Amino acid sequence: MEILLDEKYGEQLAKEAANPDAISSWNQFKLTYQAAKSSSVPDFEGLVALSHLPHIDFLPHQKEAAEEIIHQMQGRAILADEVGLGKTIEAGLVLKEYLIRGMVNKVLILTPASLVNQWVTELHEKFHIQAYAPRKNPAWKDADIMVTSIDMAKRDPHYSEILSIPYDLIIIDEAHKLKNPATKNYQFVKALQKKYCLLLTATPIQNRITDIFNLVSILKPGYLGDLSSFKKEYGKKMGNLDGNVHLKKLISKVMIRNRRQDTGLADTKRMVKTEWIEFSEEEQQVYEKLETIKGTHPSFTYLTLAKELCSSREACYLSSKQMYDKLGDPENTGPLHDLISGVEQLPHHAKAKRMVEIIEQSDEKFIVFTEYRASQYYLQWYLQQHGISSVPFRGGFKRSKKDWMKQLFRDHAQVMIATEAAGEGINLQFCRNMINYDLPWNPMRLEQRIGRIHRFGQEKNVQIYNFAIKNTIEEHILNLLYDKISLFENAIGELDHILEDLDIKDLGHEIEAIYSESSSYGEAKIKLNNLASVISSHSETERRSSS
Amino acid sequence: MKEAAAHEQFIRSFFHEYDCPILSDENGRLVIQLTDKMDEALMNRPFYWHYIKKMGRQGDPMSLTLITNPDLSEEKGEYIHSGSPRLRQLYRFLQDNCRFTKLYEAVTITDQQSPLVPWLVTNLRISYFGKQKKDELLSIGLNLIHGTMAPSFMERIENYPLETTISDFTFPMTPLIRIPSGYQRIVSYIHRHIESQDRTWASQAMEALHEEKQLLSAFFKEENEEERKLLEQELEALKGRFTPKVTVDVINGGLFYFTQATTNQIII
Repeated sequence: MEILLDEKYGEQLAKEAANPDAISSWNQFKLTYQAAKSSSVPDFEGLVALSHLPHIDFLPHQKEAAEEIIHQMQGRAILADEVGLGKTIEAGLVLKEYLIRGMVNKVLILTPASLVNQWVTELHEKFHIQAYAPRKNPAWKDADIMVTSIDMAKRDPHYSEILSIPYDLIIIDEAHKLKNPATKNYQFVKALQKKYCLLLTATPIQNRITDIFNLVSILKPGYLGDLSSFKKEYGKKMGNLDGNVHLKKLISKVMIRNRRQDTGLADTKRMVKTEWIEFSEEEQQVYEKLETIKGTHPSFTYLTLAKELCSSREACYLSSKQMYDKLGDPENTGPLHDLISGVEQLPHHAKAKRMVEIIEQSDEKFIVFTEYRASQYYLQWYLQQHGISSVPFRGGFKRSKKDWMKQLFRDHAQVMIATEAAGEGINLQFCRNMINYDLPWNPMRLEQRIGRIHRFGQEKNVQIYNFAIKNTIEEHILNLLYDKISLFENAIGELDHILEDLDIKDLGHEIEAIYSESSSYGEAKIKLNNLASVISSHSETERRSSS
Repeated sequence: MKEAAAHEQFIRSFFHEYDCPILSDENGRLVIQLTDKMDEALMNRPFYWHYIKKMGRQGDPMSLTLITNPDLSEEKGEYIHSGSPRLRQLYRFLQDNCRFTKLYEAVTITDQQSPLVPWLVTNLRISYFGKQKKDELLSIGLNLIHGTMAPSFMERIENYPLETTISDFTFPMTPLIRIPSGYQRIVSYIHRHIESQDRTWASQAMEALHEEKQLLSAFFKEENEEERKLLEQELEALKGRFTPKVTVDVINGGLFYFTQATTNQIII
């Protein structure tokens, strides 16, 4: 075994002992020894980082994951916890441990562009790790820890420079995007020089079983054989790990997958309350007027306008006006014209009033989701009239504006009004109240919304208010879909895959289509029940196969 | 909390030792006025000092606000905790600047001349790299007159008063063993020490390396240049991760002179 030892020290000391400038005092000498002691790690085992991070309460599954990655998997692993269980925390803990042990200096973290800042902030705030997000002319060689997007890294001149650096650790977030070995991204990642490597994804298998082969091949080439023999052996069972005990066992040696129900996260509950709201008399009249356009316009038009009227005058006015302008109606006698003039007369919306009542009773923070941008403007204005501060949030905001809005909400405003939850958006654990002002057609969207606040880091029970107006289309949506919400809840993370198999591109559109193509409420209900049972049986098999 | 207190103590001693006055010190928040020399060493502004010196002007050294109390970590100043950049910088500074010493035991007035016995002291860090890494600190003292060797030497001598100048009425004995050959004896001791350690970690690492290599060769067909290059790269990474090795770094060391009485005490 190789022993590297400083052979020359004796001669140096003999020389320097005669040089008064080189002599340190007794206290300096002792301090140096003390410094060496406190920067040494006396054991192979365990996580030293924990005692360095006393301000973080790691969950048991997070500590176990980090320990397993470092000690069993030798630093090369797929971290495939379900959404919201803290994959970033686990990766940060692994990184911290390696840094303390002096096993890692040079680190590259690749994430989607929208998450770069979040990574840098989290590493700094939680782990006291100074990472850099490169801007124009990044000094790849100088900065020890870099966070960047693959898109930037794979561009020249960065590309060749990054490939020339021997990295100690590479972390790739949202790694499921790397499933296709023919892509430039995949080849880039494969070509990186790395000692340790973490791949983070909530969906290690998205479509087919070769996805996992490709991910594992980044970590441990050869571990699952080569592609042709792998395909021969496992390829026929598309997307299904079931039935193959051998493969499952192999994969469990390179992959960690914690599930929500196995972790302490179930400790905070979600309390979901349906708020039934009644239209005022004027509103009800206008809504009934809307029924009359069913005869003269496509059912899709009716659906859109009805949903909008249930949200705000503004939303409904805007699109009925647009339709009106497009169709043209010189006599001004059509049902659309009637509708518009009716909408114009309406007082404040019943749901907006209820929303203010709820928020005024509390001094806690609220996040309000609406489907329409017009409603978002209206609600912001309406809240302001009641002296309640609020900030808007939209998927279309730039990254910096999103960060800014989040910060305003955390430090100043009581309410955030958002139009889009978007999976990779923001984390708002500091808020525990959510009002679903409008319900989306796609129940998965609701789950993603709730995931913004009911996630790792939430310390209190989460209160969800679902608004629905009686005797309107909203009552139908709620009855049809949301009593089955638990079904969708369980399928999160797998649903994309299920839908792909069913050849459904967008669940919301599918449900909307079912509703508008059905001639009666009963018919819609039967069709939706069928869809629900397909999804539930599918997700059952999925769960069995990957646990 | 214990850790914070230790850091605080370390910082106080450090800056005291380098003549930097502590302007305020309360509740885990220390404000330290740097000297010119320490500003140059710690604050990373070489151009400033370059110009000041060139113009022959008086520099204006900065002050540092260091916070060890975790409850104040949000406040203005540098939060000091294990692994924080500033702490690492101080450690590195010591490591670079305090590698050598020559110290004499301080003796209160005696009426007769007393000889001081020379000891060679080396503090070393042994790092074992297998699948994981661990460090071991050794502090070894070697009597340069008759070759007695004593482990945990720093712990034995830490409470004795030592000075860089020799006390009155004492004189150093000339070593019979020269420093370089004394150091060679310590090196042999280290080798024996490492050999005598449990080797399981090393054989486990070799096993892992062997397994991983086999996996790799099953995967790569070496059909083209690209593949060969990747294989090469992966093999290198494997060796880097699993080849067991041991490194020994000298933290610091020096020539220490103790009275005969102390010499007898410390080797008990």
